[in-house]
Amino acid sequence: MTRPRDGSRPIADDGDAFHFCSTCAFSATCLSQGFDKSRLEELHMLVAHVGPFEEGEHIFREGDPFEAIAAVRVGTVKTYVTDNEGREQVLGFFLPGEVIGLNAISHSRYPCNAVALDSVMLCKFSFPNIAALATRVPNLQSHLFRLLSEDIGKAALLAGNFTADERLAAFVVSLARRHAARGFSAKRFRLSMTRTDIANYLRLASESVSRGFSRLQDSGLLHVDRREIEITDSVKLEALARNILRE
Amino acid sequence: MTRLDFDPALLRRYDRPGPRYTSYPSSPQFSKGFSDADFRRQASRSNQEPIPRDLSLYVHVPFCFSPCFYCGCNRIITRDVSRGGPYADRLVREAEMTASLFDRDRDVVQLHFGGGTPNFLSPGALARLVDSLGRFFHFTSSANRDFSIELDPRSVHDGDIAAYAAVGFNRASLGVQDFDRAVQLAINREQSIEETLRAIDACRAAGFRSVNVDLIYGLPRQTLAGFMHTLDVIAKARPDRVAVYGYAHMPQLFKAQRQIEESELPDASERLALLQIAVEKLTAAGYEYIGLDHFALPGDDLSVALAAGTLQRNFMGYTTHSQCDLIGLGVSSISHIGESYSQNFRELPEWEIAVDQGRLPLARGMLLDDDDVLRADVIQQLMCRGFVDRVQIETRHDIEFDLYFAESLIRLQPLVEDGLVRLEGTRIVASSRGRLMLRIIAMCFDRYLPVQASPDIRPRHSRAI
Repeated sequence: MTRPRDGSRPIADDGDAFHFCSTCAFSATCLSQGFDKSRLEELHMLVAHVGPFEEGEHIFREGDPFEAIAAVRVGTVKTYVTDNEGREQVLGFFLPGEVIGLNAISHSRYPCNAVALDSVMLCKFSFPNIAALATRVPNLQSHLFRLLSEDIGKAALLAGNFTADERLAAFVVSLARRHAARGFSAKRFRLSMTRTDIANYLRLASESVSRGFSRLQDSGLLHVDRREIEITDSVKLEALARNILRE
Repeated sequence: MTRLDFDPALLRRYDRPGPRYTSYPSSPQFSKGFSDADFRRQASRSNQEPIPRDLSLYVHVPFCFSPCFYCGCNRIITRDVSRGGPYADRLVREAEMTASLFDRDRDVVQLHFGGGTPNFLSPGALARLVDSLGRFFHFTSSANRDFSIELDPRSVHDGDIAAYAAVGFNRASLGVQDFDRAVQLAINREQSIEETLRAIDACRAAGFRSVNVDLIYGLPRQTLAGFMHTLDVIAKARPDRVAVYGYAHMPQLFKAQRQIEESELPDASERLALLQIAVEKLTAAGYEYIGLDHFALPGDDLSVALAAGTLQRNFMGYTTHSQCDLIGLGVSSISHIGESYSQNFRELPEWEIAVDQGRLPLARGMLLDDDDVLRADVIQQLMCRGFVDRVQIETRHDIEFDLYFAESLIRLQPLVEDGLVRLEGTRIVASSRGRLMLRIIAMCFDRYLPVQASPDIRPRHSRAI
């Protein structure tokens, strides 16, 4: 019997010796510079597929020695720090094609924890090598810097004085765009993060997250079925998100 | 949607055992492998949804004063009302344990007391119980909340009915079955028309928003004339809802039914005639056919939800409350949390021991996989709307319907040829002849049913008609 294809859970097409994975965070840059996968091999780029990490399993912990950045191939990763009183603060969520560990580049240790929210597969890039590669592939360096600044920017955007509905709209729109960027549906996707995590990330109370989602649903902007989100009016949703996403 | 065609030859041909689809997968699929940890995990996951579902509470009161012989429910026969107190105390303990697993911002929008005989508990005891439940769970203050209770007109007093209303119940369901005296003697349930009508009136006077009456066809010694009289009396009393259940004779499963003389049961064609007269009488009296065994007056919430396409089905039957997580309390109760079903111990002592030891009294259950969730959606659409939209299912579950359900569509083909089902564009629709056989149509999509049921397998389900 055929099993349902779970389209809301993006699965990357695996690459091989000659092809990049469909979600590869770097393939566009490398290819545009004339580096295909076999050429990278020649350069002894250490690219290793690792995983799966199961739900709740840590990929690295704060203070672990920094060894590599990693691109998410499958699943969702949450990064967070814990304050002195043991309170968790969510820093971000990483979808297929996105890179974790960037904020460790300037340190020799990871400055945060990374945990798998569902079954996660990673592609690890040993950092000294990628840095070496970057000197030979000029765009790769700027690509890395761009990724790094996006990572810092994400958190700053939510620090402003925005309503719960604006925060939720921006959150959903951002996820939709990131899914679309990797060729997955921007209209329907599954939220792998918990209500508590979303609340923490958006600096809202947990009840405000569900009330906010209910309001967005009642106004016809989106539809929620358990963890499945369907955007039903992307124009209005984007309008609501505009203050935060600033474009 | 309201039209029904009664085709006896066809109904007879398709009369076969099948689940009632108050759940899919149906309860015979539950297993002992389902653990306490599974339940806790499902509860916690359900709290973590972006919009956690509202809650629906079912509370089972197993005690009855005397045994009705047709009954397949989990019940304990006793005249000792003092057994109610300790049972209610344990219900409170179970509620406290269970409620702690659910976030407080999840409203209870539906509360149902079933049995057994819930009015085995006095209004005072029930008031204390509901009050305790309200301390552990958050009851919605919304006017459309459904707080319902099954009442036995034989043992409930008029004054009690007002007291139950004061507790907060706004829907009542009264058992009647048949007023025919010969039938009543054969099923050990003597109940006069007068006391029944008095109970209905008392419910109305007490301000219950809706009154339901249960009837049963296919009982021993039942005659067309007798059942017609019962239907006339009920149609005249005009309860908001009427359920007409088919009696399922399964003495190997339900001990009480061994008291029923098999030779006194109506045969297949008599059963059909009884069902036909019920359908005709009730629709002529202005009742809308909701689906399966249920009829409702046009203004009733169920009729409105049917027209709006928002009808739902769960263990309590048809409901207007969308997609709640359902928590079952008490002996034998079933819960539906997240993507799981689970059932409490069916025997009182086991349930009591678990509660006394501070354990969840779970006996069995199952975790649904993607296929179960998909098929449950299809079956829910069929049971509640009388059709399923293939494109809608494809978008929702990311499948190619005709490919995924190739086997089901083959099973469905004879039903199409017999005119029970029509293929209309992207929809698979139960025709006016098929609407009385929704179970048969749904069975085509049930992965757990053997294609050809072997006759020597004991039926675990009642007959469809």
